[in-house]
Amino acid sequence: MRVELSVNGDLYRRESEPDLTLLALLRDVLELTGTKWGCLTGDCGACTVLVDGEPIVSCLQLARQVEGREVTTVEGLAGNGALDSLQAAFVSNGAAQCGFCTPGMIVSAEALLRARPSPSEAEIREALSGNLCRCTGYNKIIDAVLEAAGSRGAAA
Amino acid sequence: MAELFVPQTLDEAVGFLESHAGSATPIAGGTDVMIDLRTGGVRTEWLVDLSSLGSLAGIDLDGEQLRLGALTKIRALEVDSRLARRATALVEAARVLGSVQIRTMATLGGNLCHATPSAEMPPALLVHDAVVEIAGAAGERSLPLADLFAGPGRTTLEPGELLTAVRLRIPASAAGSCYLRQTVRWSMDLAGVGVAASMEVDGAAIVQARVALGAVAPVPLIVPEAAEAVVGSELSPATALEAGARAAAACSPISDVRGSADYRRAVVSILVQRALRIAWLRATGDWPEGLLAPINGLLAEEPA
Ligand SMILES: Cc1cc2nc3c(=O)[nH]c(=O)nc-3n(C[C@H](O)[C@H](O)[C@H](O)COP(=O)(O)OP(=O)(O)OC[C@H]3O[C@@H](n4cnc5c(N)ncnc54)[C@H](O)[C@@H]3O)c2cc1C
Ligand code: FES
Ligand code: FES
Repeated sequence: MRVELSVNGDLYRRESEPDLTLLALLRDVLELTGTKWGCLTGDCGACTVLVDGEPIVSCLQLARQVEGREVTTVEGLAGNGALDSLQAAFVSNGAAQCGFCTPGMIVSAEALLRARPSPSEAEIREALSGNLCRCTGYNKIIDAVLEAAGSRGAAA
Repeated sequence: MAELFVPQTLDEAVGFLESHAGSATPIAGGTDVMIDLRTGGVRTEWLVDLSSLGSLAGIDLDGEQLRLGALTKIRALEVDSRLARRATALVEAARVLGSVQIRTMATLGGNLCHATPSAEMPPALLVHDAVVEIAGAAGERSLPLADLFAGPGRTTLEPGELLTAVRLRIPASAAGSCYLRQTVRWSMDLAGVGVAASMEVDGAAIVQARVALGAVAPVPLIVPEAAEAVVGSELSPATALEAGARAAAACSPISDVRGSADYRRAVVSILVQRALRIAWLRATGDWPEGLLAPINGLLAEEPA
């Protein structure tokens, strides 16, 4: 079966198994390995990507079901090799320990900031409640999102 | 490995499901099916992808009649400001289901058709006398939502039938509803107990009420005798207590990691009292419009 998918602005056409997940397609076929392979049960959020700007877990998403829609992975956030302000805030706040949850955290936070440019701390916690961090660095992650919201607000 | 069939019309979907009865499974958001496939809970030759059937998604409010398409995303219910004012229990149930990612994918129809005893949406719909619309090769039919559930993971849908919509009545004024749940963790947890209540008020008296429970029986339950305890007067601590006791007596919870049967019964009684109180405050205009309740309904000024 053929899938035709728009990822980070590029159009890909590939032969694939009909029940291939978006996560498997991104990592194993397109070799976009920023999106992580965690629980495969929708619980951890490490595989979070945006579809038409909304966050979903790609481990439970059939690739075929997102044909004709725009997929954004963590690789799609950095422009011209430079980190975007949210990614930079994760670095400067030390919001990653092992880093496994980080792409999912950043993609979820990006979706939040697009919808609510100045979120409260409670809104950030709610938006990230589907993203688990086994290294338990949640406070620094929240600090990073707050800082990114502030810097984007100042730049706007 | 399953093959994928992508129907473009409802007729095509129903026709395929009928001719492949026993070997085809509908997939909507996939948040239950994909896990069932992975764990072996579901084995199927064909997945029938409903996601192209755009006409099955949508929230239509016409006067007091609300129609929710089966493919409506839980996230769409959560963020609908009309529902927050008029059918608050639906929004309170939607906002606690899974995570933002799960709600963005999950559909209302999938939540009902998976028939998980602890599912969030059934109690919130049952207190609005919801009716489900069903399409099959033999035509259309409808039935009260309560009659959709046959047991854990089982519905009364015939092979080949699809849920197309849920219809409910949401009174325009002097009415209120509420959905509360008890969980071990605040988010990303399934309900240990889910409780919904609704009521209509005339003057100072409750003229109609509903109480429904999730996670405390093999199927979501309506408890008419609990609702009857509060009808005919204003809500008082005594009538709410009686309703809570009747609801606790009507349920048949199991003991598991989310709580013992006795604990769950005790929680049912408490949550029914809190949900009735919040529905009452909403119905009588003493609650800020559109403001959602704390997830477990515990209000700061509530007597201990
Ligand atoms: C991490 C995680 C957390 C979750 N948390 C919660 C929670 O807190 N509360 C809760 O209630 N649920 C929860 N769920 C369960 C799930 O997200 C919901 O049940 C969801 O609403 C299912 O909808 P779907 O569209 O994804 O269904 P699918 O997985 O596509 O389908 C579910 C079932 O319904 C059938 N089906 C789907 N649509 C139709 C239709 N129109 N007609 C006939 N049959 C149909 C399918 O064949 C399948 O059997 C969670 C799931 C995950 C993965
Ligand atoms: S890998 Fe998808 S949610 Fe964990
Ligand atoms: S930094 Fe290790 S899982 Fe989050």
